[in-house]
Amino acid sequence: MIWSTIISRGIQYSALWWILADGNLTSWWIGVPAVLFAVITSVILFPPATNLRWFEILKFIPFFLFRSLLGGIDVARRAFHPNLPIAPNLIEYPLLLPPGLPQVLMINIASLLPGTLITELNQSVLRVHVLDSQKDFLTELISVEQRVARIFGISLDTSLK
Amino acid sequence: MTLIDYLSTILLIAGALFFLAGTLGLLRFPDIYTRLHALTKADNVGLGLIVIGLALQSESLASAGKLILIWLLVMFAGASVSNLIASGALQRGIRLWKR
Repeated sequence: MIWSTIISRGIQYSALWWILADGNLTSWWIGVPAVLFAVITSVILFPPATNLRWFEILKFIPFFLFRSLLGGIDVARRAFHPNLPIAPNLIEYPLLLPPGLPQVLMINIASLLPGTLITELNQSVLRVHVLDSQKDFLTELISVEQRVARIFGISLDTSLK
Repeated sequence: MTLIDYLSTILLIAGALFFLAGTLGLLRFPDIYTRLHALTKADNVGLGLIVIGLALQSESLASAGKLILIWLLVMFAGASVSNLIASGALQRGIRLWKR
């Protein structure tokens, strides 16, 4: 378990170094120690407790890119529109995701999606500022929460919402 | 100009339009929360389009990767900072604008 984390992080950080050094071969004299120290630090600061589902992350990327593009188009349209068609409101959304990384990821993603901006997280209840309270933001938030849950291999019972 | 050049020109102009929209939103939207909407979302898309447009012109895979890395970092920073500003505004009791 710990070794698979060390190996996968080592590969990721090596790729990062390769990008930063523009593929320069002689730079690995500094790169190899830098990658080693980065792996050691990351294992201490962020222990390999969570088991990420890489396939779910891959499935999530196109969904996120498309939704955030729609988010940009939506807000751009409202900013350019002469009548400024916005009807903001502050709503509460109880999270089913466990505290820690899953909730942090959810907050960061939801702020880039159409019409929602996370303002506060208090005891697993999100306070969400919505740009247009007539829009169906609830379906959006539920679908993001379920996708984040799948990345961490958690199953959620959203029938209560 | 090659096809790639045309494509990156279109992407760069589209990206600039999104930055314009973000700035327009910053000026036109009525309160801090709605302004954050405009800045985080429109600028994120604008930067994404500019990064793709520039990556098409880059000479190596590594420098294209560097551009995408910049985009990812700005995206994370933008989302976290907008969240911090919004929660700070709520704690100070700044009321939200309603129609």
